[in-house]
Amino acid sequence: MGGDPTGDGSERVAMVVDEDRCIGIGQCELLEPDVFRLGDEDAISRVVDGADLPRARALELVDRCPSGAISIADA
Amino acid sequence: MADTTKGPASPADIASPTIYLDGIPHEGFAAIREVDGLVWHPYGDQGDRSGFWAVTRHADVREVSKSPDVFSSAIGHTNLWDLEADALEARRSLIDSDAPDHTRLRRVVSKAFTPRTTRNWEGMARDIAAELVEDFVADGGGDWVGKVAAPLPIKVILAILGVPTEDADYMVELTNYLVEGTGEGTSLPDDAYGNTTPTRLLPFNSPASHALYEYAEKMRQLRMAEPGEDLVTGLLEAEADGERLTAAEYRNFFQLLVFAGNETTRTAMIHGAMALAEHPDEWARLQADPSLVVRAVDEVIRWASPILHMRRTASRDTELAGTPIAAGDKVVMWYAGANRDPEAFDDPYRFDVGREDNPHYAFGGGGPHFCLGAFLARMEIQVLLEEMLARDVVLAPGSAPERLASNFVHGVSSVELAVA
Repeated sequence: MGGDPTGDGSERVAMVVDEDRCIGIGQCELLEPDVFRLGDEDAISRVVDGADLPRARALELVDRCPSGAISIADA
Repeated sequence: MADTTKGPASPADIASPTIYLDGIPHEGFAAIREVDGLVWHPYGDQGDRSGFWAVTRHADVREVSKSPDVFSSAIGHTNLWDLEADALEARRSLIDSDAPDHTRLRRVVSKAFTPRTTRNWEGMARDIAAELVEDFVADGGGDWVGKVAAPLPIKVILAILGVPTEDADYMVELTNYLVEGTGEGTSLPDDAYGNTTPTRLLPFNSPASHALYEYAEKMRQLRMAEPGEDLVTGLLEAEADGERLTAAEYRNFFQLLVFAGNETTRTAMIHGAMALAEHPDEWARLQADPSLVVRAVDEVIRWASPILHMRRTASRDTELAGTPIAAGDKVVMWYAGANRDPEAFDDPYRFDVGREDNPHYAFGGGGPHFCLGAFLARMEIQVLLEEMLARDVVLAPGSAPERLASNFVHGVSSVELAVA
């Protein structure tokens, strides 16, 4: 895991979707429509280019993905 | 507490279907939640030996749901009784699959049920809800199940599938027979609806599944000849591209969508309406602040716990809540228990339309089997509440509900409600 210099979860982090695990439920797009977008044809979630979230919110999205497909892109 | 062959004996019976004629045994679930670790519950013709681990705490249901590699949906059965291998194979659907089969099957239908797609159906659902509510009020009340809660979700799922609305009553009739299969057994003779398949090979051991298979085949032929924009066409096109759906997968999908798309949402609407009739102060709160409707929807769903349990089977030796579990053991997640766990909900026995923190597991505990129709169900319940609010409909208790003897669906076959 990468560092969290602020320690309060406000540091912005990028996210990754494992497209092999995603089953297209759409919880992520519902919760963060500016960050996640389901494909119009395949309903697989992808991260919008350049989008990020505060670490605390990112962890919540990781937790609430039923497929376990979302993770934080730590360097 | 006496030890059984596996672990501490359950302090309460939560599996006998007839218990549910009096409603969910909440005191029994509370007693089980309070035992350290897991309890072993007798079940079936071998009593203690064919029993199951009863998982009733919110955190434990979550752990089972989120560990599909350890707690399999594809072994044994997802209901309490085991199926022989050929029966399991004949009726296998999305519900009874693990990855990678589950992933492949789920992706065939996922696009039709995302939050974004669901919004496309909202106007249609609202029109249906408005008409049913207006008729209910014009009649001065009556059987809420037959007049509102059953027709609304079946009409919506049939429209999505592309099945003619005039067959809605027939579909409700068939799925009602399926629910019987989770209780004391079907009341139908084995050859009902022209069935010739051994019933042990049919979903819910019911000849009504044969009728749904026949209907699925009729729809297949109709849409092969004349494709539409509907989900049956979508299933068939997924089948047609070579490797996705087999004939058995298609008909089991059709059967599952008709069943799950109406019995569950119906059940939520029944318990929701009963709760609102019994708690007029909560309805008045919603009338005073309609912005609470989104929270009210989830509280209705938590309160209802339409599906009481789902079973998993341990694929290897493991441990849960400090209790060792052997490969092959049945592990049963009782959503009905998790949804009243005081560790997860403040004042869990209070029906609170404004409940802020409501992580209920009525759609499952959060793993890959998360309810496919969760967003559709929420939308349907929301438009129903909104159409009632728009007409200032106030429900009041009428007769006691006629409940089902099922430990699987928290079903009510009829309940009279009055319009105050």
